[in-house]
Amino acid sequence: MTYNFAFLDEDTKRMLRRALLKAVAIPGYQVPFGSREMPLPYGWGTGGIQVTAALLGPDDVLKVIDQGADDTTNAVNIRRFFHRVAGVATTEHTAEATLIQTRHRIPETSLREDQILVFQVPEPEPLRTLEPREAETRTLHALADYGLMHVKLYEDIAQYGHIATSYDYPVLVDGRFLTSPSPIPKFDNPKLDRSPALMLFGAGREKRLYAIPPYTRVESLAFDDHPFEIQRWEHRCELCGSGESYLDEVVVDDRGTRMFVCSDTDFCSGRRTEAQA
Amino acid sequence: MMLAAFADPVFDSQRSFRELLQAMARPAMPRPLPVLPPAPAPVAPAAMAIMLTLCDATTAVWLQQPEDEAIRHLRFHAGLKLADRPQDADFALVTDPASMPPLDAFARGDMRYPDRSASLIIQVAAINPAPVDGAHEFAGPGIRETETVAIDGLPADFWQQRAALAALLPLGIDLFFVAGQQVLALPRTTRLLEG
Repeated sequence: MTYNFAFLDEDTKRMLRRALLKAVAIPGYQVPFGSREMPLPYGWGTGGIQVTAALLGPDDVLKVIDQGADDTTNAVNIRRFFHRVAGVATTEHTAEATLIQTRHRIPETSLREDQILVFQVPEPEPLRTLEPREAETRTLHALADYGLMHVKLYEDIAQYGHIATSYDYPVLVDGRFLTSPSPIPKFDNPKLDRSPALMLFGAGREKRLYAIPPYTRVESLAFDDHPFEIQRWEHRCELCGSGESYLDEVVVDDRGTRMFVCSDTDFCSGRRTEAQA
Repeated sequence: MMLAAFADPVFDSQRSFRELLQAMARPAMPRPLPVLPPAPAPVAPAAMAIMLTLCDATTAVWLQQPEDEAIRHLRFHAGLKLADRPQDADFALVTDPASMPPLDAFARGDMRYPDRSASLIIQVAAINPAPVDGAHEFAGPGIRETETVAIDGLPADFWQQRAALAALLPLGIDLFFVAGQQVLALPRTTRLLEG
């Protein structure tokens, strides 16, 4: 059995490509698209996979990460899927990739102008938990009325003393559209701002895609007296010693012993190789 | 006899799309299109490459100069629908910019769906990325500092018309300019800086 290159048929790719161009032209705005049934269920990155399929060419080198790791189930399967249906080269090294599909992280290694980052997005609408009706959220975006989100963040402060949102932290793109950065930790939000690489977001179940063009202003919402802050750790990575990367807390035995390690496996192994050399 | 289209439809349109995507993501910066398919007059090969990449039976295309040969070619190779009026077009091909309709004749989307707006393909005399006479400076999303480029052959009041549309953001129309092998995009968010 053979598939069309990159699984999707050409009509579907054209539909996705037109939607992607409009997404780039209207930064942060969610463009509806005809999401297709994919050979894996919604929630496994079907939005990101469709965006990647619309982009992919034989010269691309594809990297796929899940929570920063190249070797987790979701990442391994998506990488294998595209190797099978498009025959493209794959890599685990951020610097070697032309196209990076990601679930819930932005690589620690700075991206370049010739790279494209594709995010898997479960819920593209940042206001959805506050306003369930699509007709209403569309109107709120049309009017740039984002008071609901400010009230939500204020209630965090009133209740906890600080903004408790730690991932999927809402951003304002180019001063206009309130946008979900996908469930990346807020640690990664500063990497969205004026990134040299184009960033594309696909939500398969919700049938929306959107984009943050390169060198675009991306502000994380905050208040003058409660400025935006990223997570910090008292620990360093126990494998590579990094004090700047996003750390995962891992339970290593059945007595509750824990260790902190880099979530970005390529960044971590690169540092360890460098240290040995 | 009818001309051919892309020799390799899957990969030629993929490569063309990637250049169009980068052009839209990095406005006011001309890029060479990788494949120039044959095109009947008055359609330029670069404009044909864009239409073969993006247009099909689900898009309405308005042609400024609907020559029979060009219509036959586009219908056969892309299967696209033609729009009779500029306001109905998803894509519009401007082959003679000097006599093009005003920009506000095209769809600019509605406030809930600003993506339901026209994309224009404008065949111009030349695109010159240098601070020559008539060059303009642009800024906006996708542009690191500013970009300077001269686009020759546009109507005298073209930039005033475009500036008037900027007040309607996020509504607007998105522009592809082609000259020879070059394509340059100006999405609605790109601002022309007053010199």
